[in-house]
Amino acid sequence: MLAYSTQVVIVGGGATGVGILRDLSMRGISALLFEQGDLAHGTSSRFHGLLHSGARYVVKDPVAATECIKENLILKKIAANCIADTGGWFVQMKEDDPDFVERWLAGCAASGIPVQEISVEEARSREPLLNSETVRVFEVPDAAVDGFKIIWGNAHSAQRYGGQYKIYHQVTQLLREGDQITGILGIDHVTGEKFKAKGDVVVNAAGAWASQIAGSAGIPLEVICDKGTLLAFNHRLFNRVINRLRTPGDGDIFVPHETITILGTTSEIIDSPQRNQPSDAEVRRLMDLGTQLLPRLAEQRVLRAFSGVRPLHREDQEVPGSEEVGREVSRNFALIDHEVQDGVHGFISIVGGKFTTYRLMAEKVADWVAEKLGNQVPCRTAEESLVPAITEALRARAFQLLPLGATDKMLERLGEWAPLVLDQIEANPAKGQMLCECELVSVAEVEHAVTDADTHSLSDIRRKTRLGMGTCQGAFCSYRALPLLWQEEEKYSSLKDQLIEFLNQRWKGIRPVLWGQQLRETELTRAVYSGILRLGDSKKA
Amino acid sequence: MWDGVIIGGGLAGLVAGIRASERGKKLMLVAEGTGSLTYSSGALDIGAIDLLQRSEKHPYALLQEKSIRDGLAYFQTLFPEYRENAEKPPLVLTPLGSCRTGGLAPAGLIADRLSQVRNIVLMAPKGMKDFFASVVKANLEKEFCQSTVRIYPFQVSAFASWYQVGRPVNGIEYARFWRTETGMQELGRLLGELTQDIEGSSVAVVFPGLTRVFSESLQKLLAQFPFPVVEMTDMSPAFGGDILHEALKRKFKELGGEMMIGSGVWQADCEGKTCQQVRVKSKGRDSILKAKEFILATGGVFGGGVEVTPTGAQEKVLKIPLFLPSEWTQAQFLREQPYARLGVEVDAALRPLDPQSGELIFKNVRVVGRMLAHWDPWVEFCGGGVSVATGWLAGETL
Repeated sequence: MLAYSTQVVIVGGGATGVGILRDLSMRGISALLFEQGDLAHGTSSRFHGLLHSGARYVVKDPVAATECIKENLILKKIAANCIADTGGWFVQMKEDDPDFVERWLAGCAASGIPVQEISVEEARSREPLLNSETVRVFEVPDAAVDGFKIIWGNAHSAQRYGGQYKIYHQVTQLLREGDQITGILGIDHVTGEKFKAKGDVVVNAAGAWASQIAGSAGIPLEVICDKGTLLAFNHRLFNRVINRLRTPGDGDIFVPHETITILGTTSEIIDSPQRNQPSDAEVRRLMDLGTQLLPRLAEQRVLRAFSGVRPLHREDQEVPGSEEVGREVSRNFALIDHEVQDGVHGFISIVGGKFTTYRLMAEKVADWVAEKLGNQVPCRTAEESLVPAITEALRARAFQLLPLGATDKMLERLGEWAPLVLDQIEANPAKGQMLCECELVSVAEVEHAVTDADTHSLSDIRRKTRLGMGTCQGAFCSYRALPLLWQEEEKYSSLKDQLIEFLNQRWKGIRPVLWGQQLRETELTRAVYSGILRLGDSKKA
Repeated sequence: MWDGVIIGGGLAGLVAGIRASERGKKLMLVAEGTGSLTYSSGALDIGAIDLLQRSEKHPYALLQEKSIRDGLAYFQTLFPEYRENAEKPPLVLTPLGSCRTGGLAPAGLIADRLSQVRNIVLMAPKGMKDFFASVVKANLEKEFCQSTVRIYPFQVSAFASWYQVGRPVNGIEYARFWRTETGMQELGRLLGELTQDIEGSSVAVVFPGLTRVFSESLQKLLAQFPFPVVEMTDMSPAFGGDILHEALKRKFKELGGEMMIGSGVWQADCEGKTCQQVRVKSKGRDSILKAKEFILATGGVFGGGVEVTPTGAQEKVLKIPLFLPSEWTQAQFLREQPYARLGVEVDAALRPLDPQSGELIFKNVRVVGRMLAHWDPWVEFCGGGVSVATGWLAGETL
């Protein structure tokens, strides 16, 4: 069995896990992260993409609100390439309680969140699709964040400092010797082989799977799985985040991401992290709720519906925001020191939290780990950019070789690997063609992803390059990616299986929103893959 | 007053228009868009007629076997280059180089000859979009295992500046080029060079981005060479479907049919079971078309004839109530998808019926092609056959 040895084992490659990997690595602590799927496999790839200003929490959870605004500003500094600083509006409709507005304004002031009122006329002219029956509109520093970019940014930054991560490596159990956690056992899903990792400390950042991890060593940890469904619309319906100004509820936020808009969300406690299929009822509910902010919502094309499972920590109802022994609780997240809680050494769990505060959560965990290991290096994750800046020379060179719309996207995705891809295009201009025309991804960039040791499927390529995430939802680009996979024959299962798996995966998100233009696109996709390419025909190999 | 107004200018609508015009009817065809034929390769799927006739309410089940055969035979009299083989459906090549049955296909696409040779030369046009020579070669070798495949790369000076900046050349662009004077000269020169380069006599050439249908000069040119040249079907949009669409429109006009293209019928005025006239938005005000008969050929969901919203589905022009399946989708994308069978239910004369009561809705309307309920071209592979057969029947009985 393959055996790894490190100072810190991190379980889980979501935002928190890679954030911890980066922080520890920057402090000179050796760390190895294991993730059961691709990075961001869990909740981090299925959320709203909202970088909170904190304004949403000022009334009910001022501690969380203050944390949010601080982290909001930090992330805009260190991860500018991952964030679209759109700003956000809080919109009061005529049914909304004006008293709440006053409490909200006071709460924003108390939490240090800058607020600016916008006149209703100006709001209507800047956002024509917004319901014209708004009463008051306020601007706050909400922003749109690309989860994948942040996670890849953290992972690569960690690597620069010696941190390592292994994907498709699922941790199956903790190794416990008496009252000490000494490491983990796992299975490599690519090779099918078991592996072991020994560490002085194990950090449980497994999100919705955290209780399974702790439970494998007989340690009780309650994680509540709360399912939230979101809809991705095919157009940039608003140019900024739009929130409803009232007590937070379902379906009251729109977040624009480049050419799409995400409406969310819902909330339902479920029993397993795997239950992430949106239901027709949730979709209908979101459409109804969203119509209140955008009356013409039913005319807009929905690309797909998807669900994420929020891993929440059970709050202590009697003492909200309290500090129990062994816990640091902000209503937002909980850091559980199992030595204090359960008498087990060398093991810490981090549960709950919002994407916006991932860096803070990681800092708290890293502080705890550093103390255990006698490391005194201070945290610098808020000071250093995730990605080294793109030089003017590199940008200029890219503009020579790629179409205008594609260049910035490619540079932001690839960062320091951009020159490698540009070299390929310079040597062979045909590789500068857009393989994915919806998201403007070049042949050279897809090739680069295909040959990456970490890439095992079309879905992995999708996450790294955005192939198949645009308007056609993979109808044409999947076909074009096949020959590139074909060249790397040993790495990939049969091309036909790859394609069918990819199309079925895209289909999962399209099924609940199958109407209008999305239905027509689906018919075209069936015509291409079933009719022209005959890939559905079970009689032909 | 027209004898007939055809709403929709796709395969079914045009075949109906051609047949009715031939019978002396005065017709107006209204088409909002370009139709779906441009997405087609030009090979028409017919499907297993006997099997599908046993499927309840399938369009083939409504039509007599004779009507279906007559309709397909009619298509071949219109376009003699289209071949069908009742015993063994011909094979055509997919863009990946694998084989599929071709139904009714122009002679150039028929690939059966490839099983009779020992050497296949695969022409590889430089920079051709969505064409992957090594994948095609591998699939050809798998299908025609008695043969070795040699990739023959070539370039064309007309596209030199495109190659230089890495701009891909679409199959449509290559196909159009070969049909020009310069293109045919270039093709002659290229195939002449190839003839010198080939050894042995058991040779066939596979040529992507070439379509000879409806071009006598191209066919004459290709016939000069000592090897068969087999075309490939193309990814959408495809020249083969496009040129068939042009040929259908030309035929319709030659026979005296008239067309309004670019604006659709937005309202029909009916009284009882009779449709009296339709309105087309045209140059800022409505054109009103009165006719004795109407043919609804609006292409279902993809063609734009059916609008599906989160709360229901509607036939857009005449507001005919639709059959809607109770299940909508299932998990395996490329398999049976129940929603695809939505559409208008009709009697044996193609007149629309209410899906609940079975009552006749309009006496003077016929529904053809994809608008019909209870069939799915993408699992039954009968799209061309249903469109041609129902279109022909409507044109024959108008």
